[in-house]
Amino acid sequence: MIQYLFIGLILIGIYGLLTQKNLIKLVVALNVLEVGVNLFIISTGYVKDGVAPILFKGVPSTNGTFVDPLPQALVLTAIVIGVGVTALALTVVRKIYEKHGTLNLDEMGSESDD
Amino acid sequence: MMKRVIAALLILVLALFIYGNLYSTGEGKLFPKFGNVNLSERVSNKFINKNANGENGVVTYKETKDAESGSANMVTSIVVNYRSFDTLGEVTVLFVSALGVGLLLSGKSRMKFKTPPNFILKAGVRIIAGIILITGVYIFIHGHLTPGGGFPGGSMIASAVLLFYISDDEFRTKVKSFKFLEGTAGSLYLIFGLLGLTMGGYFLYNFLPTGVVGELFSAGIVPIIYIFVGLKVGSELSNLISDFLSEEGK
Amino acid sequence: MINPVLLIAIPLLFAFLSVMFKKADKGLLVLAVLFNVLAAFLLKETEVVIGGWKPPFGINLIADQYSIFGLIILNTVFALSVFSSFSSVKKYSTVLLVSLAALNGMMLTGDLFNLFVFLEIASISAYILSTMTKKFKGTFNYIILGALGSNLYLLGIIILYSTVGTLNMADMASKIHLVNNNVLLLALTFIFAGFAVEAKLMPFNGWVKGVYGNANDLSGGIFASAYATAAIMMFGRIFTNIFVLDGTLKTIFLTITVLTFILGEIAAFSQKNIRSTLAFSSVGQAGLIATLFLSGLSGVAMMQVANHALAKLVMFTIAGAMYVYAGTDNIEKLQGLFKKHKLIGFGFSVAALSLVGLPIFYGFYVKIFALSNLFKINSYWIPALILFSSLIEGIYYIRMLAKLWNPGEEGKESKDEYTTKLSLENTFAYAVLAVVVGLFILYISYNPEFITQGISNYLSNIAGGM
Repeated sequence: MIQYLFIGLILIGIYGLLTQKNLIKLVVALNVLEVGVNLFIISTGYVKDGVAPILFKGVPSTNGTFVDPLPQALVLTAIVIGVGVTALALTVVRKIYEKHGTLNLDEMGSESDD
Repeated sequence: MMKRVIAALLILVLALFIYGNLYSTGEGKLFPKFGNVNLSERVSNKFINKNANGENGVVTYKETKDAESGSANMVTSIVVNYRSFDTLGEVTVLFVSALGVGLLLSGKSRMKFKTPPNFILKAGVRIIAGIILITGVYIFIHGHLTPGGGFPGGSMIASAVLLFYISDDEFRTKVKSFKFLEGTAGSLYLIFGLLGLTMGGYFLYNFLPTGVVGELFSAGIVPIIYIFVGLKVGSELSNLISDFLSEEGK
Repeated sequence: MINPVLLIAIPLLFAFLSVMFKKADKGLLVLAVLFNVLAAFLLKETEVVIGGWKPPFGINLIADQYSIFGLIILNTVFALSVFSSFSSVKKYSTVLLVSLAALNGMMLTGDLFNLFVFLEIASISAYILSTMTKKFKGTFNYIILGALGSNLYLLGIIILYSTVGTLNMADMASKIHLVNNNVLLLALTFIFAGFAVEAKLMPFNGWVKGVYGNANDLSGGIFASAYATAAIMMFGRIFTNIFVLDGTLKTIFLTITVLTFILGEIAAFSQKNIRSTLAFSSVGQAGLIATLFLSGLSGVAMMQVANHALAKLVMFTIAGAMYVYAGTDNIEKLQGLFKKHKLIGFGFSVAALSLVGLPIFYGFYVKIFALSNLFKINSYWIPALILFSSLIEGIYYIRMLAKLWNPGEEGKESKDEYTTKLSLENTFAYAVLAVVVGLFILYISYNPEFITQGISNYLSNIAGGM
């Protein structure tokens, strides 16, 4: 089933978050996780032989014709939120690079004051 | 190495946990199998038939007049009508993250490329940018009829701005005017919501007539809101691009 | 009659306007904050729908006693924090306005997905506020964990949506018993994990030290009081009103929250800086409040929420101010600080002692109430562990207070260089805050009904609350 693949993507994303040391790779892992979640959400709305939920010529709205439009609307929101978080994360990564001169978490050292 | 093995084991446990429980069989309501979704059990059934507030018969394209949500694209009718409050939040997310990027990377001069843009890129952008801009505007104006809407349309506009950036070494957007556009579009969205509150008694109430399903001038405030969203998303993403391509002044 | 949607719409509108009129941004911030405090106090129990779509099809806002209680605390501490640390606002007034709108939205919303949206707005504003002190590593950690948590939460609510077909909280609560146990277990685990990030529960609280421990006076006050209140109150709403836990899942979640409490307090015990001590103490308190919620004692939990928000507001603002003006918040270096600044010391001490739950303070009343109720529902190991952790908490807070009041040995004059940097002019606002909140805590210590009244009204409306 295709849903297994999407859950697989989520798991790959979590594995990346657990093991990676490079900040950019962490952001990439986060995006893999997000894509997995979004695809999974879309897949929960699929109806066999359904078409895109848009009224057009000759199609009255009856059950079974359209796929569930709500997950698609939710994914639209989730994608935009993902873009916002990614933009902010990349900005912070750039600031960290300016400050520490490295993108590797291990080479950075602590940043407390005392 | 050890850490990777532990992480892999953890993922394995998580995978077994998800697969074992999600597709379990037994008593009670189960997670529906892929494709076997019964829409009549979900709230979206009413969104498709446009009868959330009461029965109104079958909705037919280009015939039904004054349906409760007049947009032919059901995703749009959910995004900008039934769950418009989420979209307001979504616009705010983009607004605040663009603001945060601007606060952190407020460089004075723009980043120079190592290789200057070549002739083909420059000439190509001049031809293609106008088409992209017009397509973007088309997409968000027709968001209630065809696939698309404010967010894809806005991103297309921003992609034209990105093309200007990479084709011209000196190009800088007028961040201030984009900020003004962004603020205006956001405020107008909220003011339309408050207008609905005073005219219909509900925040973000669709107070205009919804017209005939499938026509350009239909769906009440939906296309108007999508135009604001499109302009706002376009200006926000353009600001993001210009902030990312700026560096501390010399 | 105030429409609760205005609590969200007005700050948001002012946020958009403040981008257009850059010069007036601080004025807009003050106006919105004052409006929200006023509106929170005037708010009556009501339920409004957005866009005229009746639930479960549209989104509704619920203003019941529970959320009004949360809103009053939230908006008051937000306003106090902004006014006492006004000099630190700088360019961040738009972000503050957005976060105010989002926190109010979190408290009010009656829709699970809308909650996700507000949670995201609030956490993105928090990411930006946490860059105030330019400690980007902590911020990055927070972003990664926060995004992971919100994705897990989204996954959880989507599993529930595709099973029962609704996103509305009330509708979900009425249908949740139909769901298959295994599917419910999976969905609730994801929702719990998602909330654990914002509510600072184990094992998703790795960001707390980097963010709380590096906060300044403004961000510290807002994180530790306003954000903590909103997050834990939403945790309470989700896990007491909508999903009622029982069986194994309840035991597992209770174990996690109790462990958070104990380990948080133990970690706080070994810290050397005021802010990191307070950060781990916040983790511990979040564990305590979540434990109370999960045990079904919403009333006591709400009292502790009020106690914690007021106490942490004072302590974090003062600790952040020490960092901003004196350049350090190391307890050793700041010895004898309160001897010079007695008013600040008064507020800080009252707050700390009330949080610990020393007799004659409000916190004592709360803790006795909590313990006696826990014994009533026949659980013994939770109260025993709470007592044990409270003891640890008491020891490190009293140790900290003793050091801050006592200048230490004679002849170590060099230490004064830190304490004298806090001059009278720049501590004025903090002193006012400390005295006002300190006196208020003393007042409610003798008149606990002042806060309990609202809670008992709430509890009389739901079944089996206490």
